[in-house]
Amino acid sequence: MKKNLRKVMSLLCVSAMTLSMLAGCGGGSDTTTTTEAPAATEEASTEAPAAEETTEAAEETTEETTEEAAEETTETASSDADSTPRNETLYEAGQQWGTINDWNPMSANSNNGLAMAANEQSRVLVYETLFMFNSLDGNLYPLLGTEYSWDDAQTELTVKLNPDAKWSDGTQVTAEDVKYTYDTHVKYQSSTGADYSTYIDSFEAVDDGTVVIKAKLGDDGKAVNPLKVTAFLNNVYIMQKAYLQTVEERNGEDADAVKQDTMEDMVHSGPYAPYISNDQKAVIIRDDNYWGQAPSMWGKLPVPKYIAHTIYKDNAAGQVALSQGEVDVCQQFITDVQNLWLEDGLPISTWLDDAPYGACEVMPSMFFNVERPGLDKKEVRRAIAMAVDYEQIIASAMSGQSPTFADYPRSVVGPTDGERKYVDFDAIADLQWDNADVDGANALLDEAGIVDTDGDGIREVDGTNLSFKAECPTGWSDWNASMEIVAAAGEKIGIDIQTYFPEASSFYDDMTTCNFDICMWSTPGAGVMNPYSKGMFYFSEEYAKLPSNWSGNFGHYMNDDAEAILEAIPTETDEAKLKEYYTELSRILLDECPAVALMYRPSLFYAVNESVWTNYPAADDGRNIPPTDCTDGYGIAALYDLELVQ
Amino acid sequence: MKNTIKQVFHSGKFLFGFCIFMAILLTVIIYPIFVTADPLQMIGQGNFFKPGTYVSIEESALSKSYTLQIPKQFSKLEAVLDIDTRSDIQQFLINQAGVAESEIDVTDADSLVELWKANYDPNTKYSGLTTAKRKALKRLDGQITAALKDSGVIIAEKDEEGNLAQSKVIKDTDYVNINDVSKKTFVLGTDNFGRDVLTELIAATKSSLKIGLLAGIIATAIGLLLGLLAGYMGGLADNIIIFVTNLFTVIPSFVILILISYSVGDKARGIAMVGIIIGLTSWPWTTRSVRSQVISLRNRDHVNLSKLSGHSMFRIIFTDILPYIASYVVMAMILQISSGILAEAQLSMIGLGPATTKTATLGLMMQWAMQYSAHLNGSWWAYFPVVILIALISFSLNLMNTGMDQVFNPQLRD
Repeated sequence: MKKNLRKVMSLLCVSAMTLSMLAGCGGGSDTTTTTEAPAATEEASTEAPAAEETTEAAEETTEETTEEAAEETTETASSDADSTPRNETLYEAGQQWGTINDWNPMSANSNNGLAMAANEQSRVLVYETLFMFNSLDGNLYPLLGTEYSWDDAQTELTVKLNPDAKWSDGTQVTAEDVKYTYDTHVKYQSSTGADYSTYIDSFEAVDDGTVVIKAKLGDDGKAVNPLKVTAFLNNVYIMQKAYLQTVEERNGEDADAVKQDTMEDMVHSGPYAPYISNDQKAVIIRDDNYWGQAPSMWGKLPVPKYIAHTIYKDNAAGQVALSQGEVDVCQQFITDVQNLWLEDGLPISTWLDDAPYGACEVMPSMFFNVERPGLDKKEVRRAIAMAVDYEQIIASAMSGQSPTFADYPRSVVGPTDGERKYVDFDAIADLQWDNADVDGANALLDEAGIVDTDGDGIREVDGTNLSFKAECPTGWSDWNASMEIVAAAGEKIGIDIQTYFPEASSFYDDMTTCNFDICMWSTPGAGVMNPYSKGMFYFSEEYAKLPSNWSGNFGHYMNDDAEAILEAIPTETDEAKLKEYYTELSRILLDECPAVALMYRPSLFYAVNESVWTNYPAADDGRNIPPTDCTDGYGIAALYDLELVQ
Repeated sequence: MKNTIKQVFHSGKFLFGFCIFMAILLTVIIYPIFVTADPLQMIGQGNFFKPGTYVSIEESALSKSYTLQIPKQFSKLEAVLDIDTRSDIQQFLINQAGVAESEIDVTDADSLVELWKANYDPNTKYSGLTTAKRKALKRLDGQITAALKDSGVIIAEKDEEGNLAQSKVIKDTDYVNINDVSKKTFVLGTDNFGRDVLTELIAATKSSLKIGLLAGIIATAIGLLLGLLAGYMGGLADNIIIFVTNLFTVIPSFVILILISYSVGDKARGIAMVGIIIGLTSWPWTTRSVRSQVISLRNRDHVNLSKLSGHSMFRIIFTDILPYIASYVVMAMILQISSGILAEAQLSMIGLGPATTKTATLGLMMQWAMQYSAHLNGSWWAYFPVVILIALISFSLNLMNTGMDQVFNPQLRD
């Protein structure tokens, strides 16, 4: 009997092990074995008294197999790393947060932060724009285009293309490509197409090297918005006509399919091409035939052969990698960044040596939804704005990386001199409020008759408690902390404000469809359109009417005076008149408080580690290269000047 | 009863755990009597101020100064020029300034500084240096200049025309009595919002204990009730109850916890709500163990006797069964409290705890410390005391539990 039992046991043991091995190695295709394996172990446990051992043994084998599998993946990952030598690779952090999902500039849900970011300072590593914007001097620098000019009536913008410009397949970049890019955007109604078709009538390819952009004209025969037409030059990636036709063909010209095409086989004009992309890292490799080595452009190739971005779990992981020299350029918010060099003595530096450390140009602002009862009253909005402790936000939430509102009073423009010249700050000085003016806010509310009548500590409007949710995406630590400080201010003036930090995607839903009480979003950065785009961001009724509004005026604040000014600005060229307009916009912003800037902030954070590479742009180096992480707009010029540390 | 308590307190383990717990509890009760400041007040403007006493600089400069002839323990220059700095200077002198290595004596601070001053110009952009290094040398130059300066800082005030007029000179022998000036002591520094960590920690412990207690009571009450019913009634009732219990045991309770907290929304998520949610999700194991205890009790003679006497079910449960498992229930509740506190910490860590501006809890403190990477900045005071406290609370509760177990469980008795 005993012998028998042992035999049965060993048989069961062996079968359980083999089955679990099969289950472990078989993968998804082998479903039959996977279902059988647990059944076998169950049988064992009912039949044999010492079955626990069997299951344990089986578990061990599965564990081993998974461990082996895990080892294999790490091995492949490290062999990937070997293929990009450290002294030829520039590592970035803070731009790519997952496996790259596409390389399609028309895509609405691309997560490709490594290679694509189409805005005023577009990321021109893989695709290129016609011109590059430089936030330091506010000028456009030639890229695919060499020069641009408006006709006298400001209705037609003529752009000359660089005759040296070539696609990665060796063919010429022509005016037809530019025209076709625009037409395709419009045809498939990508967000770019939908946006620009309001202002651009059509493109005309005059000859191979000349393209004319015809602005849409208003009733008065003037261009609706010449600023927005100019913005096409540095905002929109140019794609190849032949390649676009291939994409259209393989997707049967179906709008959704074209926009969702991953375009991994793209023809591009930029200096880098896709190389490695997985859930561990994304790498782009230099195209040694890049046209930009022609003397008419850069005259040389960018220095790093690879640009790599490890996919980090969170900010903390990226920060550790930066301090260990595994990351060269870091686009992340770092608490007390100065400690990295002052206390830890690391070879890390930022744009400026002292606070605010970065080139601040945008204003993260909180929008009040004026369609919500309570927030439709300007006194309530202004009271909240007055009670907030901005200095606390700047010192603690932003870790001191922002100028204060005492130094740079509030207005519709950012903190750069180029924008501040448009506002007469003396004229709006009486509308500014002191920092954390709780008494003033309380007095304002009392005066307006908004008081607490039922004694629960919260004021009412029409019998309803003033209770609001302040939201921004979870994990954006500086914004989360800012919203907490806003909530703390609400408590002091009898307005109940709760913070609400949903996942980014559900926050986007709320923000773009005006389904929030208070939300936070950042103004556009520097660009050819500024400060006009900031004015639009705060006031545009047009944005408010969009079904899915990503652009601004999220709280649906309508003001006819502001709208009239916004219509007048694009065609106005007289500086004095412009100053009057922007001052008036600032007056409305401060008086009505549809949105309130909480801090100033760089559009990109910038911290560099000089363990491997050096000669990064710095504020005092006189090279006029903006701190855009060596990738965006004219900031890419830095890639051509990088040197290895000796 | 009295005897039981006496017995319990004779257990060393229990006594030790009880002392720790009472110490925490007493601190939580007594500290707010003396420190009445709002624990959520944001005092420090900046992140993570170091622990220590902060004195008003303005008052120190203006208040009466005392001259103390304390011999200087070190020269300022020697303090600036540590070994690394000296080698940095040497590197610079050789590589950038072109000074021969033989001319440099790194052991002689004065001559080294002389060479430095002769060769370094903060406005020149030296080649062959990284930007970070260039900036570091500039800072070093500033430090050396400051160290070389004669003692004394001049305080000047602006007169009506805006000219500076000297009003006071502060010498390096000037001291101020710390009792003369305004000061603020942060025993555990400040957190990322500039709040006093110690005050916040104690308020947080209080709310965490409240949450734990509430969760423990609710979980134990539900578990006890269902366990008693299932165990005593048996049959269909037992089957139904144990079916539901098994359902809840199989689904990880933390997942349910997250789902409920998320759907409740921030608005209603106060201390009480979090406590209730945790309590509602952590009762199954209590039910199971109470049930098994009751099953073994229900066929005892005294229970059968009560049944024969025609006592009602509830009377039997409460007078004949409950007293026998009371000690076990108390122990289970202690464990529930402890796990409730841990569950709150976990919930808050992923941002589903109570509102930051309304209450302080241990989990929230951990969450913000993590978000502002206190663990990377070396700001241990923002998270370490919190971890210690969580550990101490659950350690003391568990210790009390094992101590009681030893007293009540005949198998474990010595």
